[in-house]
Amino acid sequence: MAERILIMSLTRMGDLVQATPLISGMRQKYPDSVITLMVSSDFESFIPNIPDIDNSIVLDIRQFKKREREQDLSWVVIYQYLESFLEEVKAQRFDLVVNLSHSKLSALMILYLGIKKVCGFLCNETGDRMTEHPWMQYFGIEPFNRNYNPFNLVEIFTRSADVRPEDQRIRINVPEEPLSLIAPDLSREAIRDDELVIGIQAGSSIEGRRWPASHFAELADSLADGLNARIVLFGVESEAPIAGEICRLATRSEKIINLTGKTNIPKLIAWVGRCRYLVTNDTGTMHIAAALGTTIVGLFFAHAHPYETGPYSPGHVLFQARISCAPCSYGVQCNNIVCIHKVKPHHLYSMIQAHINAGGWNLTDDMGPLDEVNIYETRYGNDQRLTLKPLTRHPIKLDDVFRWAYSSLWLESLGEYDHCDNSRDEAAMVELMWQDYDCGGIDEIVEPLRYKIEVVKDLIKLSREGTKATTSLIKMLHSRPSSKKMQALGDKISGIDETLNQTGCAHPEIKPVIDLFVKRKENFQGDDVVRLGKDTLRCYEQMRKEFTRLILLLNAAEESFAPGVIDKNQVGFDSINALVPGR
Amino acid sequence: MHLFNENLKLLRDHDPALALRVESARSLDAVQVIVSKDGNPVPRVGSVSLHSTYRPKDEAARAVSEFAVKGGLQNVVYGLGFGYHVAELLNRYYSRSVTVIEPSLELFHAFISAVNLKPFLPRTRFLVAEPTPKIGARFKPENWNILSHLPSVRLSPDYFNRLEQSRKLAGVLKSNSLRILVVNPIYGGSLPTARFCAEALKNLGHHVASVECDKFAEGFLSLDGITRNKENSQILSTVFMNMMGDMTAAKAADFRPDLILALAQAPLTPKAIQKLKVLQVPIAFWFVEDFRTLPYWKDVASSYDHFFTFQQGEFFDQLEAHGAKSVYYLPQACFPDIHRIHDLTPEEKKSYEADLSFMGAAYYNRRKTFPQLLDHDIKIWGTGWELESSLGQRVQNENKRVSSDETVKIYNAAKIHLNLHSSTFHESINPEGDFVNPRTFEIPACCGFQLVDQRSELKDLFRVGEEIITFNSVADLRKKIAYYLEHDEERKTIALNGRTRVLSEHTMEHRMTELLIYIFGDQVEALKQRLADRKEPLDVLIEQAGANTELAKFLEPFRGAPEFSLKTVIAHIAKGEGALTKPETLLLMVNQLVHEGK
Repeated sequence: MAERILIMSLTRMGDLVQATPLISGMRQKYPDSVITLMVSSDFESFIPNIPDIDNSIVLDIRQFKKREREQDLSWVVIYQYLESFLEEVKAQRFDLVVNLSHSKLSALMILYLGIKKVCGFLCNETGDRMTEHPWMQYFGIEPFNRNYNPFNLVEIFTRSADVRPEDQRIRINVPEEPLSLIAPDLSREAIRDDELVIGIQAGSSIEGRRWPASHFAELADSLADGLNARIVLFGVESEAPIAGEICRLATRSEKIINLTGKTNIPKLIAWVGRCRYLVTNDTGTMHIAAALGTTIVGLFFAHAHPYETGPYSPGHVLFQARISCAPCSYGVQCNNIVCIHKVKPHHLYSMIQAHINAGGWNLTDDMGPLDEVNIYETRYGNDQRLTLKPLTRHPIKLDDVFRWAYSSLWLESLGEYDHCDNSRDEAAMVELMWQDYDCGGIDEIVEPLRYKIEVVKDLIKLSREGTKATTSLIKMLHSRPSSKKMQALGDKISGIDETLNQTGCAHPEIKPVIDLFVKRKENFQGDDVVRLGKDTLRCYEQMRKEFTRLILLLNAAEESFAPGVIDKNQVGFDSINALVPGR
Repeated sequence: MHLFNENLKLLRDHDPALALRVESARSLDAVQVIVSKDGNPVPRVGSVSLHSTYRPKDEAARAVSEFAVKGGLQNVVYGLGFGYHVAELLNRYYSRSVTVIEPSLELFHAFISAVNLKPFLPRTRFLVAEPTPKIGARFKPENWNILSHLPSVRLSPDYFNRLEQSRKLAGVLKSNSLRILVVNPIYGGSLPTARFCAEALKNLGHHVASVECDKFAEGFLSLDGITRNKENSQILSTVFMNMMGDMTAAKAADFRPDLILALAQAPLTPKAIQKLKVLQVPIAFWFVEDFRTLPYWKDVASSYDHFFTFQQGEFFDQLEAHGAKSVYYLPQACFPDIHRIHDLTPEEKKSYEADLSFMGAAYYNRRKTFPQLLDHDIKIWGTGWELESSLGQRVQNENKRVSSDETVKIYNAAKIHLNLHSSTFHESINPEGDFVNPRTFEIPACCGFQLVDQRSELKDLFRVGEEIITFNSVADLRKKIAYYLEHDEERKTIALNGRTRVLSEHTMEHRMTELLIYIFGDQVEALKQRLADRKEPLDVLIEQAGANTELAKFLEPFRGAPEFSLKTVIAHIAKGEGALTKPETLLLMVNQLVHEGK
């Protein structure tokens, strides 16, 4: 029973908000525990808004950034600060730590603190980064396979702590009578109680993720003209130039209230709560809106990916370019961010207007071609998991099929998922896939899909070979090992792993399974060769099961695409199209 | 005169280089020889008698009686006079040898005119009128047990003072590391020398950083093809040179050197050198090129604080005329880390063995000379050879660049290595040739036997005939090739003698020591102060950490690590095995933050 729990969330404000379902789950699991939250000093002021925590610890890295700029920094000072900081943390004798980052720094901190029970990444005594929980291992491979990831980080975090995301919601503490905090502003701007207020968060921590100021200005004009909306610009002080540009370009600037750099956290919460919509890039403000229930019109460009960091509550609409390079791969620095131009101001305006009129998110005829745009609505599915529902119903691609397959595969493979829910059965899954995508003209993907299925079949054989070789190795270790034979078996296993690796590189759709196999092996500990052999055996077996399940799912998809079936499905789903929003 | 000639004969056997110098020196009029009361000759310079005018031998006996010979130390006498004290020392300690340092060649001339040299030989080494840095670099001053002949010291106070300063400096350098920035040329023959200098300085315990202008060679050479317009070509070249100068200044600002050493053809313009002067450290130039072939030295001679050359005489005068402030003769050398005996594999033997070999570029005089040796088993390596010619068929490497490692294999393989100094217009040897190329030292370092064309500087560096063999014409060369191919043992003995000589006096470490003594010899105290005031980055960090802290204890073993930084520590931790210690864990965290902060 954990009594003193430390939750480390050292990244961004949005991540803090997204950690709230996990923190609430921990509170429910350990009602008598003391929960302490460790945050970076940049977001210290947000701590009071995180529910269910008892204490907080602030890691002040910002002080060094300033001194580094002034070239007045020796790393001994950082060393001394870390030492005294960590000694203070150590003195609190935490018995469980939840690490919500895969940074090496946080993993090393956990090693230093010597906390026995760890959820998330840690460093072992020789400094190797590792994690035991399957969902955290998945978190480790996800950035390198993001096109095939169907899970929001909230879901990954909560499942990593053995908390069911289905039972939790994202939430923040809201000041009492928030509107009173901004009453003077509302009065000064003469905003009536029933007036349509739409917020815009035009900045974001990374420049490439920002929709152009000209687009925001055009949208603001449309919203002011068409819906008589008042526009409120949010942002931190450093984003003032972007807000200034929007005000300069907008023809209806009198309808814009520029609050950039003028709101503290409580006021920001109050203002976002007052807005009916928040149009935003992928930002911390977006996650605040998600927690408050303000409807989000989200923009995801460059590295931002709605499947990972989309708002974790239902009823929001999210835009993303549907081009081959979107989202940017991990580590890529794009110097030609074309994706921001694929989503047009009128796309957003039409959707907001239709939403106001109909109360739901529907595509409208005046939006024009949407071939290069993904529009998703956040929804709870039958299984109570938050998912992204594509509204555009694009022709299905191979990546979509695999993402769909992995959504089922990982839930079953990585944790104690409730299999009683029939929605996870292949037929139901296929039905959902047909609802989300246009599977009518699938000639282009049937052949590649069949080919991929054959590759996975080969990998099942390879997994068996790995199992066989490892079993022989273990047997040999129990008898009198001949070094020559041992070497031969070792070489065989290395060869199998190398083939797996090469296959993963050649078939990125299949790589997530292979990456997870490698990640599991990275977590082996100690030098007991028999134990290591048994661990290896388990990895091969697990991988074989995953490939086997993947084949079942892919076969189901492939069978649904068969000509006769297509017609049947087409007719079937045509008949329910009326129920699908956006059709 | 008879005694002088007898002595000269003895001296030719004992120290031919000194004998040659004495022959060409005149007896100084100022040195008078008087006869003491007991009938011995005594030199007098001005009003100073260098020995007792009564009983000089008794006086010498008294002086030597107060001198204690110490085991492991070399007996060194400051000042020769007419050698009474030296003779006494030799008599008293008959199993020991003595080194006598005498600043005046004229006095030595007077000495061998008046005193029988025979009793002094072979146990006495005379270092006469040698530059003090050369003595300091080659004769291990830290191991000296000194007997000062006070009248001689009083007669040449400056010389002996410099000698003492050299000794002191040697001590300072032994216990301290200087920070030295070596500026490489972009390309060319002096590039290996630059690298050897840097490595030798490191071997001597200094912290060395190199400005690797050579990494830009391809770019610089590519400029040639950009335009045929001479003016534009000149502009491009100037821009490039300026960039190299700025690069050196930037590197120097980071490295904070105590000395900047540029090698011949280093791309430093007077303006760039001027920029470096803000650092207020000596800026030296070692011009290891023929001043007649490459005259650009004229543009930079006045800019450098110290100008080292491997040519003397006329070049010194020209340098002075072009405003050079401080000029010193520093010949080339070998670098034994590279130039060494190498056991060849059977395949290597097949590739490199030959009666005659030559490694070098196809200069005019070589192209004219070597065809005359085609009746021998000759192999050639190097660049620029006409491969289609008869000689070209003996070229082994198709004119491709030969690495230092391969060069060493070549020098280890052939029976005779030809060394013909380059000339762009002589038919074979240059009768006026003065300087000595690196090959002259490198071949013996590999225990190779060489036949080298006659050079005026050679006699001061080797005992010609015993350690090295010269030729003065193609006919002479052919004669000597025939002779030495016939006389294996003699050839091997000479090669071994040459090797002993270069390893004891002509390595790059000797040269760099000599250079440092020359530069810093007259500012030992200032240098000591500079070193004392300077805090190494590690000292600052340990001070910040607090003397007895875990961090300080962890950092202590890194003292002396060149270019210490957090990177050094992290690399050390990465190499370690077992569980991370507390400081290691914290330092890995620091590395994450510092890295992330960048």
